[in-house]
Amino acid sequence: MGSVRAEFLKLKRSLSWAVVVLLPLMAVITGAANTVVSGGRLEDGWHTLWLRVVIFYGLFPLAIGVAALASLVWRVEHHGGNWNALMGRHVSSLHVVIGKVAVLAVLAAAMQTVLVVGVVVVGKLVFALPGVLPAPYFLVSVVIVLACLPVAALQSGLSMLMRSFAAPVAVALLGAIGGVVLLMTRLEVLAVVVPYGLLGRATQLGTGMFVDSGTVTTGAVAAVVVAALSLTAVVVAGTAAILDRLDIR
Amino acid sequence: MVGHGGPVAEMITTHDLGKTYGGRAVVEGLDLRVPKGCVYGFLGPNGSGKSTTMKMLLSLVRPTTGEIRIMGRPMRRSTRRELLGHIGSLIESPPAYGHLTGRENMRLVQRLLELNDDQVVRAVHTVRLHDHLDKRVRDYSLGMKQRLGIAMALAREPRLLILDEPTNGLDPAGIDEIRRLLKQLADGGITVMVSSHLLDEIDRTATVLGILGNGRMLFQGTRDQLLARSTPDVLIDTPEPQRAAALTAQWHPTRVDGEAVRLSGLDHKGTAGVVSRLVRDGIDIYGVRRDAQSLEDVFMDLTGGRGL
Repeated sequence: MGSVRAEFLKLKRSLSWAVVVLLPLMAVITGAANTVVSGGRLEDGWHTLWLRVVIFYGLFPLAIGVAALASLVWRVEHHGGNWNALMGRHVSSLHVVIGKVAVLAVLAAAMQTVLVVGVVVVGKLVFALPGVLPAPYFLVSVVIVLACLPVAALQSGLSMLMRSFAAPVAVALLGAIGGVVLLMTRLEVLAVVVPYGLLGRATQLGTGMFVDSGTVTTGAVAAVVVAALSLTAVVVAGTAAILDRLDIR
Repeated sequence: MVGHGGPVAEMITTHDLGKTYGGRAVVEGLDLRVPKGCVYGFLGPNGSGKSTTMKMLLSLVRPTTGEIRIMGRPMRRSTRRELLGHIGSLIESPPAYGHLTGRENMRLVQRLLELNDDQVVRAVHTVRLHDHLDKRVRDYSLGMKQRLGIAMALAREPRLLILDEPTNGLDPAGIDEIRRLLKQLADGGITVMVSSHLLDEIDRTATVLGILGNGRMLFQGTRDQLLARSTPDVLIDTPEPQRAAALTAQWHPTRVDGEAVRLSGLDHKGTAGVVSRLVRDGIDIYGVRRDAQSLEDVFMDLTGGRGL
């Protein structure tokens, strides 16, 4: 699809890559530093390291990072005559929106890859953990990337409508706080239909935190995946419909 | 007026086109007729509604009233994608991504519109940008950005090119270059609609002119038709301009202009009447002539002096 391929070209020399690398690395470094400061003990090996890195990361920084990426990929369109050019071509509004979400999906996957590689490197080099990160966490990582999609689609829509870089990021922070409240009050059904709550839920998979059972179950994974794909489809369709009706002033 | 050959002879027609923002009419009752294959100079002072009109033609903005037909087909949100495939445009500022090079920007358009290499090379050569493609666009001069914007609009080989103030901010050499480019494109069969608030920028290139003032069409037609709209002043050279002016002022708006008397709004018969009356009153007449009137004067007249 031409619009998706064109979007990837815009990532060249983009600041997005800095977010992709720095944000997960900060989460890994913070998790490792906390462990070192508290005596350097990882009671349950890789599982404990994973918990220390991913739980907080999934509650706030991840949603904010995805929001920052969405603001960055739309920022270039708000410059000069780019909006007019973007909408003055025969590319449909749906393709424009899908192009942006596809780029965000790849950036989210890259961010998760950096996180996983960071956890493995720190686990081996700093804590000398045996073996490698257990397989379920790789599955959880894929689920986390999928759960990033509704947030990416929603933030993409907000960044499309707002010229401001910070305003959509602020919305993501509020959304993440709302998501945490839903998870803490154990309103799982509600949490998985709100993009920010769903992202928080996905990062808790297998951790035993909040609504999670502590093991990665097929039911929990399926619920997150189905919700993520459905929410993404709804938000993308809604954003495309808004874009199609939008006047470019 | 132009375009008597029906809708087929016209690339763009609008009927009663209007746009209102917050109760204020920005464009009102516009009946555009842009013949196929012409360079249509869309003129008007800043804020007269040119950009809004062009945005409506591209369906970037939805009209409040009226309708648009492009190539005989209605231009609406539901039909725009199909029609936009035949239209290249550059509205307001030039597009392009500053962090990418000229080549990367062209590749982006190529991917987006699924164009072949030849189409891109031709567009770049047309605007003579081939030697600057490896520079980042943020380091381009405004003229280079405008040319890149035009190349991006041209690459799809459109049948209609809509350019909003493409000469804005360019130096005289840049303006001349754009002028020659427009002529070359029109010779190649492309219909070009180009806006400007400066008449002399497009006066020599445009074959048809549309003049907008306060959102309304003040004039639409050829250069000659525009000149014919206004009667130039009559200048009567006489050794007694004060005495002659005192006489003629009784019948016509008159003022002394050096060694001549200037009379406005006089037709041929009126001129003959004034001359015979002056001769009867014993005033010597050395010469009678029409003042050379520039298109600029007519334009100023039509736009209430806000045009230039």
